[in-house]
Parts: sequence; structure tokens; C-alpha cells
Amino acid sequence: MNERTPVLDLVCHAILVLGAAIVCLPVYFVFVIGSQSQQEIMQVPLSWLPGDQFLANVQTVLNNAKFGRLLLNSFVVACGITFGKLAVSLIAAFAVTYFRFPFRLTAFWLIFMSLMLPIEVRIVPTYESAANVALPLNILGGWLSWQVLVDLDWNLVNTYSGLILPLIASATATFLFRQFFLTVPDELCEAARIDGASPWQFFRLILLPLSRSNIVALAIILFLMGWNQYLWPLLLTTDPDMATAVIGLKKLMPQSDSLPTWHVLMNAALLTMLPPTIVILLLQRWFVKGLVDSGK
Amino acid sequence: MRPIHAALAGALLLSGLSTARAATEIEFWHAMSGALGERVDEIVKKFNDSQKDYVVKAIAKGTYDEVLNGTIAAYRAKRQPEIVQSNERSFLTMVNSGAIIPTADLMAEQNYKIDWSNFIKPVVGYYAMNGKLQAMPFNSSTPILFYNRDHFKAAGFDKPGATWQELEPQLDAIKAKGVSKCAMVLPGDYEWSFLENYSAVNDLPYATKRNGMDGLDTSFVFNKGKLVGQVERMKRLVSSGVMQIAGQGVVPVQLFTSGECSTIIASTAAHAAVVAAAKFDWSATELPYEQGVTPKNSVIGGAALWTLKGHTPEKYKAVAAFYNFLAQTDTQVWWHQVTGYVPVTVAAYEAAKAQGYYDKSPTRAIAVVQLMRGTPSDNSLGFRIGNSNQINVAIMEEVSAAFLGRKPVQQALDDAANRGNEALRRYEQLNAGKK
Amino acid sequence: MMGSQAESGLKRAHFSGSWLPFWLLAPQLFILMLFFFIPSVRALLQAFQLTDPFGATTQWVGFQNFERLFRSGVYWSSAQVTMLFTIAQNVLTLSVALVLAFATNHIVRGRGAYRTILLLPYAIAPAIAGIMLAFLFNPRVGPVAHMLQGLGFDWDPNRHSGHALALIVMAASWKHICYNYIFLAAALLSVPQSILESAYLDGAGPIQRFLRISLPMISPTLFFLVVINFVYGLFETFAIVDATTRGGPAGSTSILVYKVYQDGFVTLDLGSSAAQSVVLMTLALALTFAQFRFIERRVNYSV
Repeated sequence: MNERTPVLDLVCHAILVLGAAIVCLPVYFVFVIGSQSQQEIMQVPLSWLPGDQFLANVQTVLNNAKFGRLLLNSFVVACGITFGKLAVSLIAAFAVTYFRFPFRLTAFWLIFMSLMLPIEVRIVPTYESAANVALPLNILGGWLSWQVLVDLDWNLVNTYSGLILPLIASATATFLFRQFFLTVPDELCEAARIDGASPWQFFRLILLPLSRSNIVALAIILFLMGWNQYLWPLLLTTDPDMATAVIGLKKLMPQSDSLPTWHVLMNAALLTMLPPTIVILLLQRWFVKGLVDSGK
Repeated sequence: MRPIHAALAGALLLSGLSTARAATEIEFWHAMSGALGERVDEIVKKFNDSQKDYVVKAIAKGTYDEVLNGTIAAYRAKRQPEIVQSNERSFLTMVNSGAIIPTADLMAEQNYKIDWSNFIKPVVGYYAMNGKLQAMPFNSSTPILFYNRDHFKAAGFDKPGATWQELEPQLDAIKAKGVSKCAMVLPGDYEWSFLENYSAVNDLPYATKRNGMDGLDTSFVFNKGKLVGQVERMKRLVSSGVMQIAGQGVVPVQLFTSGECSTIIASTAAHAAVVAAAKFDWSATELPYEQGVTPKNSVIGGAALWTLKGHTPEKYKAVAAFYNFLAQTDTQVWWHQVTGYVPVTVAAYEAAKAQGYYDKSPTRAIAVVQLMRGTPSDNSLGFRIGNSNQINVAIMEEVSAAFLGRKPVQQALDDAANRGNEALRRYEQLNAGKK
Repeated sequence: MMGSQAESGLKRAHFSGSWLPFWLLAPQLFILMLFFFIPSVRALLQAFQLTDPFGATTQWVGFQNFERLFRSGVYWSSAQVTMLFTIAQNVLTLSVALVLAFATNHIVRGRGAYRTILLLPYAIAPAIAGIMLAFLFNPRVGPVAHMLQGLGFDWDPNRHSGHALALIVMAASWKHICYNYIFLAAALLSVPQSILESAYLDGAGPIQRFLRISLPMISPTLFFLVVINFVYGLFETFAIVDATTRGGPAGSTSILVYKVYQDGFVTLDLGSSAAQSVVLMTLALALTFAQFRFIERRVNYSV
């Protein structure tokens, strides 16, 4: 295709610049506030221009909280959630789209239902489950009066697995891959079967490479979501060495009547945004043109 | 032995030694963030440095709501901390949880003699039940009126009037004369500063049975007295633009410190922000009251420390030692000065006074004096309301409906009382048999 | 091109007759069982109880919590606002994201830069984002609010419920636009080049190609986003509501999930919160079923 559309090109750039300006306005003000002094941020109206206290505030943030350790924890947790979710949901979506078996739709809807009760509302029982993963066995043991089962205790509090596992089972990812797999031409599967490929080989050699763009898009989203988890890590960790960056951030949040140190908070917010931004930068390069081409 | 092994063995040896004479460690979950969070870390460090037997580990667990939910979850999973900070509204929830040890019992068991009569009355009044203190008062505050002296002078006034009847025309004049566009900013927690404290100061019943102190079969009567007039007044001030609603995204006190609004009724803890940021001549005074009334004491807000069940006697020794440390006059004076909260004992107030603290910062005394004013009446000792948070939401919703003109003030307060009473009855049903 | 699928959501060319699918589903179902279903059932049982949050006292009260709910006028008006909010949020999010995705796909230079910048809002901690949005639109101090007021518009979400509703729609969409955008961008990339090229040779311009070819071809992704946006609007927007309006003024933006959150987490009215969750889940499941039934039919899975 050798098409020239200068007007449309210009309009597109204009739309993108405008869109970027609008969606990034809050981010810009995070920066503005993060670069001002205590005196400046208490003024109304606030200046649209950044102040000169950015580095001083960075200093305060770094002295105040052990962000190094917190960033590392966040990174481990976000990666764990990303890889875990991708793996678990890719194979689950493969199962519900490529296999005929009893309860196929039931399985799909069970997975889907998990979108429908926010963790805030079931936080207490979810914590109980994580505080002792053997809880279902305990209950079962109680019914059967098997003391061995009742006494089982597998605690995830203050562990990486506790921070990661409960957040892994995502219906969104499974649903996305189901949608994508349904568009993969049937000829590919037929050809694979004729060539004697096993379902696993078909999945690994054909389906996975085809899903690359979707995997990248999802990986970005999952990493950012994992990075920004707040309530679950807050509840599950009591050891300051297991806390995540967002928890460190919330600790800097001013209380209603005390001195509102917004400048420190916003500065720290920028700092915690840095790693996910790098991840976006790196991952979005992996977007590729579609490999599916059945229009032949 | 290779060096790494030597180091490892050394570390093991050291850790073995340190456990041999390890101090008893207890966890303290709190809801203080920002500057206040740092003060909590400091007070805990002071305690840890003051002796060798006990170590308190202060852990910030988010907001009051998050701390409470975290505590409930942990308690149910048998992982609760020894000490947890919870706000004054959660008093009945905590007392009736079956999960706590009353502070008075704990201190008596550990042989600490604490003179509770030395505590400021509205503070003990709030946290005592069945004649004993249930929680350890920690951060207590009460609302006062901060004002911009420059604005008052510009409008031709010396200072704010003591009664609403004097103050109201002043606020109107400040706006009318163009001194400022906003004569007062409505705080986010106005149900506390404008409704509950109004009832206490003007000696009006808020709910029957001494505001619930005499039993769970209490019901609201705030819709039947002068409080209706107070809400009418607020509505008038809001709709004429004299009083502005701050809304989300800004701390109301910021509108005062920036000089945008001339007055604010806020917790005395707001001192920290005012001192740091107000670039004009400011001062503070006691809460306004109704003409012809001898004002009573105001009521407290803030939070207290609760001791949770399920730990070893060793741990409770540490908890008691920590509480004892908190009750010391020195500790209280320090805490009062660095946070802006009120001291919880009369002795601490006297000590601060003797040090000349109030000569330097006269407005810091206002809250304490206001709390100690007169003898608390049945209407001003505090509130004992079950499902308090639910009721709070309902009251705020109805009152703001009146502000928007969706319903008449009287009807809004009647609806608020009805919704509140429904929640009270539910609480009574659940806790039948408890006091 | 092939005919309609015999069984919903199953490939025409599929495998069968082995234990493999069960093993493939096992990890997800196992984790869900442990950390979703067991806790959820225990949470939802409270819909039929009056309970102390610490578990000291529990009374079974049958349908008392549901009756209380349906008797309350506040609840019904909340349901109406929720419908309005969810639809407005969905339309706004998807249309803006589509325009941005089309523009990114059309241009050649700077694609990566735009993609990165447009994803930035998703990288801020939600708590901070909430504060910033509330701040920007605060009628007293917010820069955006001041701009609106400068244009002669009496913007005040503290006093006008319409403004407050607009605010939560914008705030909720703001963050989800990024989410929609990235999947649309990925989907547009996978539209086969050969088809686009033959349309080009037939004289179709870029916009025509987008509307006639790309859009139908990415309909599976569009369907995914519509469903996810609904679920997002119904279940995940309480934090942004809490940050921007607190359900106000006078409860006018207290959408259903915000009430579930407020009663369950803030005021500890666990019975009512659980009952509301049951109602909301039933509603959402019915809506989603309907979407799968009626909208998915128009989705074109055969590329």
C-alpha cells in the first residue's frame, strides 16, 4: 500500500496529542505538586508551572521511606501476578475453546463469575483463606472428625505467594484469550491435526506465537495492575520488609487535620510510577503486525 | 572454614545470643500517616529506648477503616496484634466484639496504679463503660474556631463573637464587604463539629438515655430541638455562599491557610497545618454557642488504643508498660506539643502551662480549656451509639439533601433520625442482653 | 469463511475425548476455589445474617436484609443512577479509545511514543489518581474547574448532582480508556494486511477501510471490551467514587457498588452489604448472559 493522506495524518496527530494531553493532565499535576514547596502547595489557586523543589522533595522521600526494598517487592509481586495470570488463563482459555467436554460452559461461567465480587467486600474471609490455605481441609476434617486435617496450617501471611496467588485467577485474561482464540482460523488446527500434532504442540507452536500482541497488551495491563495493588498487600503484610511501594506511598498520605504534605506524596507517586513506565516502554515494542492471514 | 561459613556461623551465634535475652515484642497497628505517622514512630522509639524488656513494633495499616477491617480479619484468623488504634466512633463495636481486654482491667492485673480521675473528663467519659476505662486514650482532639484576624480587622471587627448570634452577622459582613469570598469553610466532618459538638456545648440531648450511655434502647431526638435551627443556619450560610463546601480533592483547612476562607471550625490538631502554612495574622477561639446559654464542654474526637485478647501474659506486661509510658506527664506534654492533639491528663496540661507553652502558643490551650469547661452534663459527656458509622452516613446524606434544597430541614432531620433509629434497633437486636 | 458454530464458544475444529482440558482448567479453578469461591460464599451467607463484624454474635434473620433493601427508596434511586452511570461510562470509554486506537494505527511515525504516553495514566497508583482527579475538578481549587468556570460554566459537583454524575463518569472513564485503548491497538494490528490492501485497491479510503473491514474484524475484542467495561462500571468503580464525590451530594452518585463497599467496608453493615452483593451479582450475571446471548451473535469470529 502506498497511500498518501496528509490531511488525515495531521488530524490523527492532533487527536493523539490532544488525547495524550487530556489523559496525562493528572500525571502532569502530580509532577507540578511534587516539585513545589510546602508553602506553595498550600496556596490557592495552585500554579500550573512546576516549582524548583523537585530534587529536595526526592531527597525527603528517599530519607523517609525505604523505597528500595518496597520497589523490589512490588516488582516481584507484579511479575508474579503477570506471569501467573498469563500462564493460568492461556491454558484455561485453550481448554474452553478447543476441547469438547462435559461442563465446558459451566467452567467458563464459574471463571467469569470471579469478576463479580470485589475483594473489599469479601476481604475478611479471603484473608482467613490466605492465613491458612488448608482452611477447606480444616472444615472437611471437622465434618469427618479427622484431627489430622483439622490441625493443618499453611500460612501465606507475609509471603510472596500470599501476595501473588489470590490475585492470579483472573477472568479477564481468560475471557480475552477466549475471544482471540475464537478468531484463529480453523484451518490452522485442522492442518495441525492432519500433521499429527498433539494439542499441546498446536498450542505451543501455533497458538502462542499468534497471540503475541494480545499477550503483550495483557502483560502491560497485568503488570500495572499488580504493581498498583493496595488493599490486599496492606492487609496481608505486617512485616515492613514485605510491604510494597504503593503501601509506602499511602503512608505518606496526609491525614485530614495534620499538615498536608502533598508535595512529598506526589513526588513519591512519581518515583513509584517510574518502574511501570519503563515496563510499558520496553513491552510496547513487542507489538507486532498480525500474523494471522487467512484472506488468501 | 571458608569465610562465608564463618560469617554464617557468626550470624547464627549472634542471633542465638540475642534471642536468649530478647525483649518481648508486641505489635501496634495504627492509622496515622503523613507527619502524624512519623510522630507515632517517634513516640514508640522513645518507649523502646526507655527500657530493655519490651519492644513495640508500630505498623501503619492504612486508614481507620482499613485498620479496623484488617484487625477483624486478623482476629478471625487468630493473627491479631496486641494493640490496635481505633477511632472514637467504633467504641461500641470494639467493646461488644468480645475481642478486647478493658484497659482498666489490664492495668490493674499488671499492678499499675493509674489515677483515672486525673484524666480530662470528656476523654474518660467517652472511653469508660461500666465504671472502667475500656481503651487507652491516645490521640484526642476537639473542634475550635480558627479565624483570619486580618479579614476580621478589614471588616471592622476585633475578633469573632462568642455566640452564633454575634458571629453570623460578622460572617455575612465579611462576605458583603468583599473582604473574602468565603467567610467560613464547611469541614468534611461537620456532623462532629457542627452537630454533635453543638449539642454538647449547648447542653441539648442528641439521643435519649443520656446519648446512649444508659443502654442500647436509645433513640435520636436531635430532630426535636434547637439543632434544627443550627441546620437551618448552616443551610442559610451555604446557600448564600457565605459558607463554602470544600468538597473532595482538597483538605478544607487548606482553604483557610491560603487566605481564601476567613474562618474554619476544625479539630485543634489542624494547628500543625495552620502554623506551617498561614501567611497572615491568624488566631483561634472557642466554639460559638447559642445566646443565653452557659456553654458546656465540647466532646472529643480522635482515637484510642485497644488491647486484643489471645496473647500470652508476657505480651500483656509489655502492653501495660507501654500504656503506662503513654500516660506519663512528660510523654503527654511532648505528644500534645508535636501533634496538636490535646493532652489526656490534667497534670500534663498543668505541666505544659508551667513550662510557659501556652504563653508562646496561646491558641493551643483553647481546646483543653474548652474540654475542661464546667462539669460535663448528660448531654456533653459523649455518645454511645451502636452502628455509629452507618448512622453517620445517613445523617450526612439527609443534612446535605437539606443543603441542596431537596427537602425542608425539619423533614431531613426527621428522616435522618428515623434512619438512625432503625440502625439503633438493629444494633439492639444483635446485642440483646448486653448493656 | 465458515458457518455458525455448533456450540457456543467452541471451535469447529476442536479436540475431544481426553482428560487434558480438565488439567488445563485445574490451576485456574483451584486458585479460584481457594481464594474466591470459598471466601465469597462465606461472605454472601451474611446476607441472611445479622452479625457482629468480629464474629462474636451471629443471628440468622432470613430475608430481613433483603426486605430492608427493597423497602429503601435510597436503594432504588441508587440503582437508577448505576444504570445511567454504567452506560455513559461504557460509551464514553469505548468511543474515545476507538478514536485514539484508529489514530495510532493510521499514523506511522511516533506510534510507540503515543502508545507509551497514552498508557501512563494506568501506571499511577489509583489512590493518587483519585486524589488528582478530585483536585483538578474541585470547584474551589481545581485548575480544570477554574477553566470551566472561566468559560462561564457554573461547575460545582458539591451542589449539582448532574455535575457530580458527570464527574464520576469522566473519572471512571479516564482510567479505563487506557485499558480499552491497548487492547484495541493490539487488535487493529492483527487485522490481515492482505484484506486491507485489496480494499485499498478497490478504492476504499482509510476511514472506510476502518469502518468496513477493521471494525467488523475486531468485533471479538469490541465484545470483550463492552462486557469488561460493564463489569468494571458495576464492580470496580467504588474507589474512584470514594475519591471524587463520596457518593454525594446527598447520595446522588452513590452507585450500587459504592454502597456495597461503604456498607461492607466502612460502616460494617455486613448483612446489608452481602445482600446488596447478591442483588448486584444477580443483576450483572443476567446482563452478561444477555450480552452473550444477543450481542455475541453479531460478533464475527471467522477472520
